[in-house]
Amino acid sequence: MSELQFKRFTLNQRIQHIIFFATFILLAYTGFPLKFPDEWWSRWMIASVGGFDNRTFIHHASGLIMLGVSIYHAVYHLILEKPRYDVLFNFQDVKDFWQQILYSLKISDEHPRFGRYTWKQKFEYFGGGFGAVIMGFTGMLMLNPFESMKYLPIGFVQIANLFHTWEAVLASIAIFIGHFYDEHFGKFPNLSWLTGNISEEEMKQEHILEYETVIADYKDNNKNIIRDNPGLEGLDNAIRHRLIIALSKTIFTIFFLVVCLWMLWISYSTLMEAVTLYVI
Amino acid sequence: MKIPIKSIRKMIIILLFIFFIMNNLMMTSAKSEIERDISCFHCHSTEVEQFQMSVHSTNISCIDCHGGDMTVKGSLVSIDAMSRNFTGIPSRTNITNLCSSCHSKTVDLYKDSIHWNKLTSGRENAPSCLDCHGAHNILSYKDPRSVTYFEKVPQLCAYCHEDQTKMQAWYYGIETDRFDTYKNSYHYKAIKLGGKEKSFATCPDCHENHDTKNESDPGSAINSANLVNTCEKQGCHSAQKALIYGGKVHEGQSVYLPTTKIDLKALVTYFYIAMIIFELSFTFGLIAMGIYSQVDIKKRH
Repeated sequence: MSELQFKRFTLNQRIQHIIFFATFILLAYTGFPLKFPDEWWSRWMIASVGGFDNRTFIHHASGLIMLGVSIYHAVYHLILEKPRYDVLFNFQDVKDFWQQILYSLKISDEHPRFGRYTWKQKFEYFGGGFGAVIMGFTGMLMLNPFESMKYLPIGFVQIANLFHTWEAVLASIAIFIGHFYDEHFGKFPNLSWLTGNISEEEMKQEHILEYETVIADYKDNNKNIIRDNPGLEGLDNAIRHRLIIALSKTIFTIFFLVVCLWMLWISYSTLMEAVTLYVI
Repeated sequence: MKIPIKSIRKMIIILLFIFFIMNNLMMTSAKSEIERDISCFHCHSTEVEQFQMSVHSTNISCIDCHGGDMTVKGSLVSIDAMSRNFTGIPSRTNITNLCSSCHSKTVDLYKDSIHWNKLTSGRENAPSCLDCHGAHNILSYKDPRSVTYFEKVPQLCAYCHEDQTKMQAWYYGIETDRFDTYKNSYHYKAIKLGGKEKSFATCPDCHENHDTKNESDPGSAINSANLVNTCEKQGCHSAQKALIYGGKVHEGQSVYLPTTKIDLKALVTYFYIAMIIFELSFTFGLIAMGIYSQVDIKKRH
């Protein structure tokens, strides 16, 4: 394929993303059974990682790794690298959001013109950031409860537990429903998390402002448009075989729907529990 | 390949033969087991069957608890079995005497407990031996089928301690949320999910099996003076750790915002209830709008 590829993620960012989502999945997988110990799937899930002790070890280890990646991310992008400001919210995002709603409801026929980061991607990025801070802080408090009870009353450890559970539900809904639908289900198969590149078509549709600046820059300075990782191109072509796409999309759809139902069940039961405890 | 019909017939005949022999053997073995209790079995078949499954079936028989004579066999109505020293159903207080003839130490411990105290002071519903262990179907606490197996003990205690009418009928002051609050603890979750060779604490590990006492009793395992020893017992939590937190376990501790009466836990919960409802409606709203906008997309551009 000779179509243009636009660089979206550096190798460093891709590795950060892979570590982050791998630990996220492990944490959710070993964490939610502890919230619902009476459910049939909890026992099954704990047994699948080899018992309760393994669960604790996996949860703690992946939590620490995730914390490490988050700290590295902040240090790398704020100190080691020149911080970029186009990821921050600005007034244009409100306009874009409003335009997207008008477009979706067929009131306006004009698609919003996004820059490098859409308002939703900014939301997810900062949501993930704040989530990592809350989960990391409360998790460290509960990692050794007796040690933290030396300095804090047990009420604070219980509040940390409350935060940890709620934030887990919130983050899992955002990732397993919102992020999966937008970035992986809607754009299936979206391989930019592996190759780091996105196609010209997607660039025009989703990041038109960035596309225009990159093309203008290219024409002005005669720069190369980056084709990152040529070695992965073979994988990219192979995976675009129609049968493979159909099969993998079916599997992904089933997986996505199951996880969606699971998340809905979890949010329903946590909400009901909270309402009976605190509201009624 | 064709299977000859003759060999199939042969097989069926052999299988039937084996089945009849096995059947006969099993019937005879069951018969000889029942024979010992034939006089009681005539009428009390369920009780005798339960008893034969129990841990006591090898050591004692009906007469050891109920009196009477089992030597008379075979009569349809075994009056004689009931005539000699027959006691029938032992009373709830009297049962301790029967149990103590073998389990004297355990009964002594039980007689130290608040349960026995209440039972003898006129609260007829307070538990006696057989309320927890069962009457005829007693099994070892190590047997997973037993009601006193560690996994089932919380439900066993909750049967009375969750019941609001029972708890209020005795005397006011017993909380009925003990099982629910225990369910929130790491102890319960770890047990349910099969943790550390199944050695996490259930009710009796802190409250004692037989000499359960009121918290205010200085001899109670959960009295604040003895709490550290209780947590340290069986090497669960070292004394250093237990000393750090020697407070109430079932009660959640509220943290209030300074100079107000606002509970921080309720505040966090309200915040996240709103967040999750907002997030769910936002996410699914956007998905629905996105799908709607894709309908007839060609007409629009």
